[in-house]
Amino acid sequence: MSEVIVITSGKGGVGKTTTTANVGTGLAKLDKKVVLIDTDIGLRNLDVVMGLENRIVYNLVDVVEGNCRIKQALIKDKRYPNLYLLPSAQTRDKTAVTPEQMKKLTDELREEFDYILLDCPAGIEQGFKNAVAGADRALVVTTPEVSAIRDADRIIGLLEANELKRTDLIVNRIRMDMVKRGDMMSIDDVVDILAVNLIGAVPDDEQIVISTNQGEPLVGSDALAGKAYMNICKRIMGEDVPLLDLSANNGFFAKLSSIFKKN
Amino acid sequence: MKESVVIKSNAYGIVINMDSEVPFDTLLADISKKFKESAKFFKNAKMGISFKGRELTDEQERAILNVISENSNMEILCVVDNGSLEEQVFKNAVENKVAEIDAKDGQFYKGTLRSGQVFEAETSVVILGDVNPGATVISTGNIVVLGALKGVAYAGGNGNEGAFVVALEMSPVQIKIGDKIARCSDTTSIFKKRKKKVSIEPKIAFVEDGNIYIEPVSREVLNDLRLK
Repeated sequence: MSEVIVITSGKGGVGKTTTTANVGTGLAKLDKKVVLIDTDIGLRNLDVVMGLENRIVYNLVDVVEGNCRIKQALIKDKRYPNLYLLPSAQTRDKTAVTPEQMKKLTDELREEFDYILLDCPAGIEQGFKNAVAGADRALVVTTPEVSAIRDADRIIGLLEANELKRTDLIVNRIRMDMVKRGDMMSIDDVVDILAVNLIGAVPDDEQIVISTNQGEPLVGSDALAGKAYMNICKRIMGEDVPLLDLSANNGFFAKLSSIFKKN
Repeated sequence: MKESVVIKSNAYGIVINMDSEVPFDTLLADISKKFKESAKFFKNAKMGISFKGRELTDEQERAILNVISENSNMEILCVVDNGSLEEQVFKNAVENKVAEIDAKDGQFYKGTLRSGQVFEAETSVVILGDVNPGATVISTGNIVVLGALKGVAYAGGNGNEGAFVVALEMSPVQIKIGDKIARCSDTTSIFKKRKKKVSIEPKIAFVEDGNIYIEPVSREVLNDLRLK
């Protein structure tokens, strides 16, 4: 049974695209057939994060407008044989596609793939409406900041109104050292406010920046963020995986602070 | 040509001035037309009504009321007798009726009200869940939140300062009761509260001497409370 999952947040810059790339790659690593759709028409960058930019010939708008077949626009990932990307158009805007067209597209892809991941643009306008139209469930990404949480709250409300079956929360970029000092909201605080199921927390990790710039998702690697993303993938598939102890990440920060303390 | 129907309105009611010469059917058609035109203006107002210029049988009166409700979203709460057309009479009649509805009715809402959502009711409201920042609850009666109130609550929406707001966790952005507004102090963000570990207890907000007070729910406070 295939599932269409939209990755959304409301606010920009909290890690939707990074999450889409990592979760998609992770699911592919777990032997699922996955397609990632970049619905951010006009501001495409999922292809860059995936390191597949140079292979784009056709895009989402071409498919919707009938300029090409879906198969022609799908880019096969260079590393994983069962991972595909449907890139967005860079020269058009969100109005180039309607929610009905998106629904039709995702329904067609259902027959081929186990998981269809939609990378949603920031905001709640047309782009968001397009992305959620065909989705069964949603992953809401937020960071432990009041602004991101406020927007996530609004998004969850809109998803409820769209009658999505399931909404799960990913708390991204958490820094346990700051939480311990009381300078950052904890995962529990965020879940308290948003009152939705937590499917995973991803620590703030400089490895993420490196992997994003290299176009190589780090899911499944030894980095803590890579482990966290892999756990999220397993939970999406229905496995019961305990939450990662993120304070282990303190290795780096603890080392750093201990150096300062010595001086 | 002289119009067969003239509608006059004040804040609480409308007076329908009718020509005594035209046949009733024509009159009814004219009334229907008038209300269709002004449906947008009246929206879903709650008003009293009075008839002038012509003797009506009970049946005719009912026919006119039907036509009004068919052609607009107005709610006619009462028919005021001819001759007592003072605004005050209308006002009293309508307000009594509205208060009656409030006192009798309540609504439940289950779930979390999220940023951007507005829950509006003509009755008292019980929210089974949280009211998050950016969300708004508006009620003409009282508001009870069985959860955290972190958004905006507006009780006594028709100007009733006897209304109150109760929440298990009272940390609203703003509370409005009747025409009084209170806002939370600038220093109590969710975050700072957590740091200070402020104890959370059920609280009630009410108006006394023209100010909004927020106090822990205790027997004394509840004893002083009057349901208006």
